[in-house]
Amino acid sequence: MKKYLSNRKAIIVFCLPALILFCVFIFIPILQVFYYSFFDWDGVNKATFVGLKNYTRLLMKDPTFKIANANGFKFGIVITVYQLLLATVFAIAVSDKRIRFRKFFRTAYFIPVVLSVTVVCQLWGNVMNADNGLLNTLMARLGIDWKQNWLNDRNTAIYAVAFVNAWQWMGYQFALIVAGIKSIGEDFYEAAEIDGATSLKAHWHITLPLLKDTFNFCLLISVTGGIKAFSEIDIMTGGGPGTSTYTLTYIMYNNAFTRQKFGYGLTSASVLVLECLAIILVLNWLMKDREQPLFSRRKGVDLV
Amino acid sequence: MKKFLCVLLAAMMIIGCASAMADEKIKLQIYGQYADDDTKVPYDYAVEKLAEAYPNVELELIPQAQDDGATLLALATAGKLPDIYQTGSGIVTTLRNSKQMMVLNDVAEKTGFLDKVYATEKQFMFADDGNIYAFPYAGQEYVLWFVNKALFAQYNLEIPTTYDELIACADVFNANGIVPMALFGQEGWISAAMYDAVATRYINAGIKGIDNGTTSIEDEAYLKAAEKLAELAKAGVFQAAVTTTNYDQASEMFLGGKAAMFLNGQWYIEDATKALGDDVAWIAYPSYDAASYEANKHAFSGGGGSISGYAVNPASPNAELAAEVAAFISEKYCEAKVMLRNNPLVAVDTGLVNENFPPMMQALVAEMPNMTSTTAFTWGLTNTTWSNAIGVAGQSLLSGQFTAQEVIDQLVFELE
Repeated sequence: MKKYLSNRKAIIVFCLPALILFCVFIFIPILQVFYYSFFDWDGVNKATFVGLKNYTRLLMKDPTFKIANANGFKFGIVITVYQLLLATVFAIAVSDKRIRFRKFFRTAYFIPVVLSVTVVCQLWGNVMNADNGLLNTLMARLGIDWKQNWLNDRNTAIYAVAFVNAWQWMGYQFALIVAGIKSIGEDFYEAAEIDGATSLKAHWHITLPLLKDTFNFCLLISVTGGIKAFSEIDIMTGGGPGTSTYTLTYIMYNNAFTRQKFGYGLTSASVLVLECLAIILVLNWLMKDREQPLFSRRKGVDLV
Repeated sequence: MKKFLCVLLAAMMIIGCASAMADEKIKLQIYGQYADDDTKVPYDYAVEKLAEAYPNVELELIPQAQDDGATLLALATAGKLPDIYQTGSGIVTTLRNSKQMMVLNDVAEKTGFLDKVYATEKQFMFADDGNIYAFPYAGQEYVLWFVNKALFAQYNLEIPTTYDELIACADVFNANGIVPMALFGQEGWISAAMYDAVATRYINAGIKGIDNGTTSIEDEAYLKAAEKLAELAKAGVFQAAVTTTNYDQASEMFLGGKAAMFLNGQWYIEDATKALGDDVAWIAYPSYDAASYEANKHAFSGGGGSISGYAVNPASPNAELAAEVAAFISEKYCEAKVMLRNNPLVAVDTGLVNENFPPMMQALVAEMPNMTSTTAFTWGLTNTTWSNAIGVAGQSLLSGQFTAQEVIDQLVFELE
């Protein structure tokens, strides 16, 4: 192994295919997004350079930009809280050998992930339909006067859609956390048990700190997933009512593909890329910052 | 003997290859609407007739997505347009500039298509540069306000002529579990059409006036129309889930007797008549008062014509043949619409006579000479930003949660 690692040619040969693929399919398209964001372009004909005009219009004047950012934030919060919290609880539960039907639960939690987004959205769209949806009908049958206009209310529609996304993809984070828990050695828990720690304390002081890297990854995909949310919004609300469930991705799609304003759409896309990058940097920094205190605290902790 | 066998085998191979080549069909990809009876019946009829007239041609259908032309634009951007594709006004300028839309002047003449087009429709065939880019099949189409007369009679209600009467009717219907007006507000074009139906009571040019620059979104009439539509929505004229209701759901409500009114194009006459018989009729749009109702009784939303129909990709390896097929198909669509869908509002004079038009269609044909003004459907608008923005604006107003001023301000921004 040492022989290969000290051989520059070998390193280049092994890394090059991945680097080429990354450049061709990710890096160059991202550069193109930034490049065309400075143009007035219909996506088909010759583009005209307009400098920062698209950026000033989007950032300073477009009312949907503020809505889109707020929605991205709300979406991110809902899916992060729902997915991380439930996925962690469920993962810890199914990792406990005392729990019966663990295999069944593991499969059940993951099933929504393998369903098509369209199917899931149609399903929840019918459940949440204000006129004859399952939820409102159920409430009415139970005699509860709590009819909600889940998807047609400008203030709540984004939360309803975010919930659907969170419901579907919770299983993915669940699988990651289960895998993380499985990688923790049994001896940690045996030591805790000898020290008299309860199951809850053992998970609090052993499982959670050792899953930090997994949580970091889950957090990243949740938060960035919220900012770039699109599919559920397009299928369930079409960005509506009005513009109330727009996100930056939706602004990009709407301008590029229905208004033939690719330049402006790509401006939105480039802001989205920058926001995602900023969030990744901030989250990594936050997690790095907390690394030392968390580990140092664990070293001297009293488990009883 | 050996020589004879060799010659025989060679001859058989040549004959086999020749017959295989003769049997080989030319496949043409076609991107067109194929969603409901009004689009499936004409397409199937055209394909059947095509097999007789062009036995060597086979069509491969790509059903058109209801996405305001997004898929078509994506295909154009990727340089992967099908041989024949259905197009609306908004995308014509873009695709003709990029040379992805064939000039069809010669084919229109050669096939005799141009001679068969009604004089009233001919003007819309030509783009502003004097060329033909699409073979139309639809004639002047209109937005109709359908009512279920039986439901009105059941609750002793008069057909509304003013918005106040409409709101009073809505109160009664809502109290009895009937949706006053079912609207498939998930689709931008019908949301825009609903706004247009109200706007034409205040300014006859409606949404088309802004498209062609004869009016401005800052004209007070547009604000008043927005205020009125928002008021109607708040009063419960539309179903609660209006902005997420699709066509099938809304149509089911109306045809199933669960909604008293419905807004759609005149192509819906056939389906509505089949389901509701004499109980269904279309009415003049209600207005803000009795005088304006009378004054605008013959002003319609829709109509106006547009450069739309079947266009051809000049990069197709069989472009000339595709152009001929596009003309043929458009003509057959017209035949199917007249004979099988009882819709005489087509672009081409098919020479066919149908005496079984439903009463609603007969009433519409009788009304046409009296029409004082028409506007346009969103696909007939040339400004793609406006056609998309007015759909979003209409949806905002239908939700009853946006103020008229808020919506107009957004439109002013979009049109800057």
